[in-house]
Amino acid sequence: MMEQAATQLEREHVHSVYDKIAPYFNDSRYKAWPKVRQFLLDLEPGSIVADIGCGNGKYLHINKDVFKLGCDVCRPLVDYAWSQGHEVQMCNGLQLPYRDGCFDAVLSIAVIHHLSTKERRIRAIREMARTLRVGGCIMIYVWAMEQKRRKFEKQDIFVPWNPNPHSSLGLIKSKRRGTAQSLSEPLDNKEKQRKIRSTSSVADEEDLTCTAPQQKTQRQWFFSRSLDSVFDFGSLSISQSTSRDLSTLTSPTGENEGNRRWRGRGLIKQVSSFFSPSSVIGSEEDVFDPVTDLHKGQNGLRGSNANLDNNNSTENQEVSLSFAQDCGSLPLPDLWSFQKEQSEDNGEGKEQQQQPQQGSRECPQEADGQLDTSCLRYYHVFREGELAELIENHMEELHVKHTYFDHANWFLESVRLAEEKEHQ
Amino acid sequence: MKLLTHNMLTSHVKGVTKGYPLLIKAIEVKVNEVEFNPTFVSRMIPKLEWSALVQAAEELGHRQDLPSELVADYENNEDFLKKVHRAMLEVEVIEGCLQCPESGREFPISKGIPNMLLNEEEV
Repeated sequence: MMEQAATQLEREHVHSVYDKIAPYFNDSRYKAWPKVRQFLLDLEPGSIVADIGCGNGKYLHINKDVFKLGCDVCRPLVDYAWSQGHEVQMCNGLQLPYRDGCFDAVLSIAVIHHLSTKERRIRAIREMARTLRVGGCIMIYVWAMEQKRRKFEKQDIFVPWNPNPHSSLGLIKSKRRGTAQSLSEPLDNKEKQRKIRSTSSVADEEDLTCTAPQQKTQRQWFFSRSLDSVFDFGSLSISQSTSRDLSTLTSPTGENEGNRRWRGRGLIKQVSSFFSPSSVIGSEEDVFDPVTDLHKGQNGLRGSNANLDNNNSTENQEVSLSFAQDCGSLPLPDLWSFQKEQSEDNGEGKEQQQQPQQGSRECPQEADGQLDTSCLRYYHVFREGELAELIENHMEELHVKHTYFDHANWFLESVRLAEEKEHQ
Repeated sequence: MKLLTHNMLTSHVKGVTKGYPLLIKAIEVKVNEVEFNPTFVSRMIPKLEWSALVQAAEELGHRQDLPSELVADYENNEDFLKKVHRAMLEVEVIEGCLQCPESGREFPISKGIPNMLLNEEEV
């Protein structure tokens, strides 16, 4: 049941989005992370490396002395990678079509944060570990919940696609109200604003756009509850509006009823009814830049909810979303290097029209209050230590070598250990 | 799809235990020149399932007297290394399919890209 919900969520908010936005992925904003580049260059000549979730293959050209192959679920991206001369396959990270222990190294760069349950994330890492030889290394990058100057308020988010990231730079001052009725896991209050030093050499530490508000554009995030929490009735902290619904499911008779209701496609619709649009996301803390607060404007909220409802019916948008307006001007974790270039180059900011002339489906532009929700990417952003914990607690075959924060991402390197079995 | 890649691929249909090596049914095969690097080749050899490489090359009609067993001291045998290089890196399947030896399930190869995605029932 959970599996079906998860698969559905990922199909709609990961796979099909990437299918649509694939043509935009080859522009200069998506560069190779220096640490990944270095990892590849440090490999022994004659190594075999697999890039699981290789996207357009941007890591597959690095180090000609090693054999690289890549795989992804997104056909347009894989096609592109192949056109660049790379060995690539279509496959799903949860079922890797490679024999045991055949790789010297495995990359998982900005991939597993698209998996919507903890169990699936563990499975994906386990699959990669299976294909690693003993002594081989895996490198994982995922988006961090805590970032240099801001923090996602929840771990499970939907991020709108913006084909012109520079048009969304800018700052809006607005207020944010916290609420006691948040449905999310409680945030660790110790994780306040803190200086997290980036260790990468690419970005300019004197950031970037926060100090130069050029446009009044809002960046909007959609927050969601994780599928894990939805299915774990015991741990819910529920708001009044939803408690009635939930109690019918948790009561003994309700359970049976609930189970029936939760079967099949109806499942997600049921789930979506728990995402009360009026619940405000976030804690009372200001985890953003001190000047700015988050504004949960009623107008904005209603407008977007109306939108969402429309989208719910027309596009079969099955998970309705809580909406919060965010004034953050900082780019998403995968746009750092692009932002560096942009900061040197402020004049081009206003262009909204430029889009590459590509294929049939385009993702619509963001406009104030009007968002087409068909290009929302699902992310589970990771808390500090979460990734390492995942591996340490669930994977005996992997030993964590190091983990650190790099430019809004958590990075982890781990090595495959020998099994303690009689047969080797 | 190069044969070096094929050497790593296996059928992962649920319940299958002998899904390797995948049988190749090729419709279009190309041979492209790839720069020969003897060190690279000799380091790659121990990572291969040798018999699977030979079988695959044979299926494509490109075996070209690749031996059934690894020769001794191949690191210094440039002729041999060149043969391996050719089979492993230069022969490419562009169109066709890979077939699971146990279940018979076919994974299509199109434009050089094998599609190993499983259906819901096979997972």
